[in-house]
Order: sequence, then C-alpha cells, then structure tokens
Amino acid sequence: MTTEAKKDSPLGRVIVITSGKGGVGKTTSAAAISAGLAKQGFKTVVIDFDVGLRNLDMIMGCERRVVFDFINVIQGDAKLKQALIKDKRLDTLSILPTSQTRDKDALTKEGVEQILKELKAEFDYIVCDSPAGIERGAQMAMYFADEAVVVTNPEVSSVRDSDRVLGLLSSQTRRAETEGAEPIKAQVLLTRYDQERVEKGEMMTVEDVLEILAVPLLGVVPESKAVLKASNVGTPVVLDEPSAASRAYEDAVSRLTGTQVEMRIVGERRPGLFQRLFGRAS
Amino acid sequence: MPAKLASFQVRGRFLTVLALRIDTDSPDDPFYAQLDEQLHKTPQFFSGAPVVLDLLNVPGLSDDPDRLRHLVENLRGRDLRVFGVQNAAGLDAAALQALGLVPVSTGRDAPLPREAAPAPAPVAAAPVPPENKVIHAPVRSGQRIVAEHGDLTVIGSVASGAELVAAGNIHVYGPLRGRAIAGCHGDERAHIFCQSLSAELVAIAGLYQTSEMLEDAARNRPTHIYLEDEKLRMEVIA
Repeated sequence: MTTEAKKDSPLGRVIVITSGKGGVGKTTSAAAISAGLAKQGFKTVVIDFDVGLRNLDMIMGCERRVVFDFINVIQGDAKLKQALIKDKRLDTLSILPTSQTRDKDALTKEGVEQILKELKAEFDYIVCDSPAGIERGAQMAMYFADEAVVVTNPEVSSVRDSDRVLGLLSSQTRRAETEGAEPIKAQVLLTRYDQERVEKGEMMTVEDVLEILAVPLLGVVPESKAVLKASNVGTPVVLDEPSAASRAYEDAVSRLTGTQVEMRIVGERRPGLFQRLFGRAS
Repeated sequence: MPAKLASFQVRGRFLTVLALRIDTDSPDDPFYAQLDEQLHKTPQFFSGAPVVLDLLNVPGLSDDPDRLRHLVENLRGRDLRVFGVQNAAGLDAAALQALGLVPVSTGRDAPLPREAAPAPAPVAAAPVPPENKVIHAPVRSGQRIVAEHGDLTVIGSVASGAELVAAGNIHVYGPLRGRAIAGCHGDERAHIFCQSLSAELVAIAGLYQTSEMLEDAARNRPTHIYLEDEKLRMEVIA
C-alpha cells in the first residue's frame, strides 16, 4: 500500500505527548495520534522517551521486532535507519522504540537534537511519547517540541500536574529559551472522560478543566473498553474496530492538522430512554 | 545493662584574652610606673581579664627565665591574670610549666582604631521608583513570580501550587487558587485583590491565612484583602 504524500506536509513538526501524571493515557494517545496522522497520509514517526519502561512498542504491536533502540542510536551503536521499525499496517508510520535496560540519564540533549534533525528530513510529524514525571526523560521529550498535547484526566491531581507541565512547556523548552520564537502550541486532550460520572458530580467537567488550564481543547476521549482491548492486542485504537474512543482520537488528529471539527462528547453507549427507565432489570 | 551517661563532656570554647606586649628588654621601675598609671586609668579594663604576655619584641627576656619570673610575679602582684605567653621560642616546656604559663600560638592582633575616614558627603537620596511587574499569562502550578520592589499584577489565573510574592500589592485579574504573599518586606499597607478568591494561602507582611481559614463570604468572590489591627480582613468587592 502506498499513500500519496500530502501536499501541505508540515515538514518535521515535533509534537510531544505529555502529562506529568502517570497512567492518564499518554502512550495510548501517542499511539493513537501517530497512527491517526499516518492514516491521513502524513509520514509519521513515534518515539518512546520512557527509557527503562519501554511500553510504546507493545501498544503498537511491534515488540518482537525491536533490535536496536533510541539509546543505541544516541550512543552511536546503531544507525537511525536500523532502529526505526516500519509499521506493518500503515507504510507511513514508523516507530522508534526505546531501551528497556538503560535509564533516562542515557538521554542527552545533543543526541536527541541530532536524531530529531535526521527525522525531520524524512517525516512530516514526529510524535514524542513522554514518560510521566517532570524529570530528565520528560524534559528531553518536551525540549525540542513545536507543539504539545497535554493528556489530562478529569480529576484534580491530574489537572494540577498538567498545569505544572504547561508551566514547564512555557519555560523549560527551546522555544521558550529562544528569543522571539513562537511559544509551543499546547492543547489539552481530556481522556477517560465519563459523561455519566460527570453528571453525577463525581468527575470534573470539561469546562472545569479548561477553566483551570486555560489552553485550547484538542479533544475529549471517553472512557472506553475499546482502549484497553486495543492496547492488549497491540493495535492503536484508531486502527482497531470503530469505537467512541477511536472516533474521538480521529477528531483530535484532524484538529491537530488544522481541520475544523465540531467538538462532540460521546459516551461509550448512551443508554436509551427505555434502558434508562427500566435500568438493568430489562 | 543500663545506658550510662559519661560524667564529662568535651566542648570547644573561644575566649577573648588581653595580650600585653612587652617592648622593653629590662622591665624596670619606669616600666612599672607606666603600667601602674595605665592600670589606674582603666581599672575595669584589666580587672579579672586573662592576660597573655607577648614577647615578640624582647627575645632577650624569653632566654632568661629568672627575669621572666620576676616580671610575671610583678604583673600577678598587680592582679593581672597572666596565664600564657606568646612568641617565647627560647623557653622550653619545663620552664614555662614552672612559671605556670602555657605557650599560646600567635593570634592576629586586632587592628588599632584608625582615624575614621571623613564621612562621605551625604548624597540626596533619590526616591527609588517601584519596579512593578505585570504578567500577561496564566501562572501555572509550580511557578513562582516575585516582584522584589513593587506591585505584582497578573492578568490571568493563578493555579493551585503557584506562588506570587510582591513587596507591594498583588492584583489578580482572574481566579486566585495558589498562594499570594504581599508586602513581603513587611509593608503592612500592602493589599491583595483578586477576581475570585480560592487561594491556598494569602499573606500580608507575614500575617497569613490558609484556604481553610478563608472567610466563607469571600470564597470564589471578587475580594480585597488588607491588614487592619494586625488581622487580615477580607472584603467582597461589589
């Protein structure tokens, strides 16, 4: 399968998927967004920055094909071409897995910059999957970014950590440090959103979250069984069978490429009137 | 076995002693006359103070234990508590022991009071203009913004976990969810204003209140906070 190169290719735009807090869906989102971009015909590579806790390759279903990794390339033990894994489903998608045996200290600013420079020559989008936390791994993942997707759950601690990360994005990155550079374009991706629990007042609403974070909304991904299922079979959600979550990710990807898409917040399955009247007994 | 406390403790101590530098090789009557005059002039100064003899300028004296003993006895007779000697390389430990003196390693002299330099002509103190700060972006969790010499104005929200510090007033045109510390150098006339108060902590000139203590009437309302009678007052604006 060949995909024609898009006319309006952005030429190596670096997008970091970050959050501060762990377990909010960064890797799932990085997999879904990179697959979504590739599906639209953009040449896309997704890089795993979580050195020592290699997960992205499993979510992408290529863990058995890893020979060389990101750290090997940084240290000059392998060429970038040797470490890149081409996705079997989409020929526009590549994965740069990370090392499971090393730690985040193996990441150097110069090494990351060099690799990104090489990737920019070849790919339209470079998606960086950040580790949790705000330490070296996360800093390296965000430092060279042009754009940021801050993955947030509708829950207070996640929102506060996202706020912290937004602060770092506007101060500890190359765009922030370069005089006159346009700041990183940061957007919030709200994941694990459960409309029912929001209505019961158990979860923060989209408005609450946006009011605190004060950045544009990229999308709202509903809590969905499809996400865990897709992860376990090693398929990015958008390449699996259609679900509310996959539609939400596809909308988010379209917005990321500059297409106006109406924001729709859909639950996994909205109970119909009858189901609501009779509840579970029916 | 029960724990046993040591019956002594070793501690370091610094103490100030007077050093008496002898400048004459043969302490004779004129020397003692001068000394007595000095002692008479400032009796409090020498009373009970430990004294060290400095023999820097009289190497001859340190070679002659008998003359030194004579000197020490005379000084002690004048109620000077001579206990040590400096710059007495010629004396051996036994001779010092016999005199009841300890060798003291040379310390540095305090400088003599010099004539005070003429005071600089008083410069008319130009009033320092306050350095106010305006932040035109939301202040994120973990950020700390300090206006060292003036007011701090934030146009945007202040997240929980963020901190604002100002020598003067703090204005927040947005919700204040973090900490605001106004009058950080002790200015009790500093004020805090915000469009919606849900701060973790507000403080003026060191007097603070945490979120739990905020007045319910002011919570999530536009509020003016100021100090009155050593208490933080919160006044809902309109």
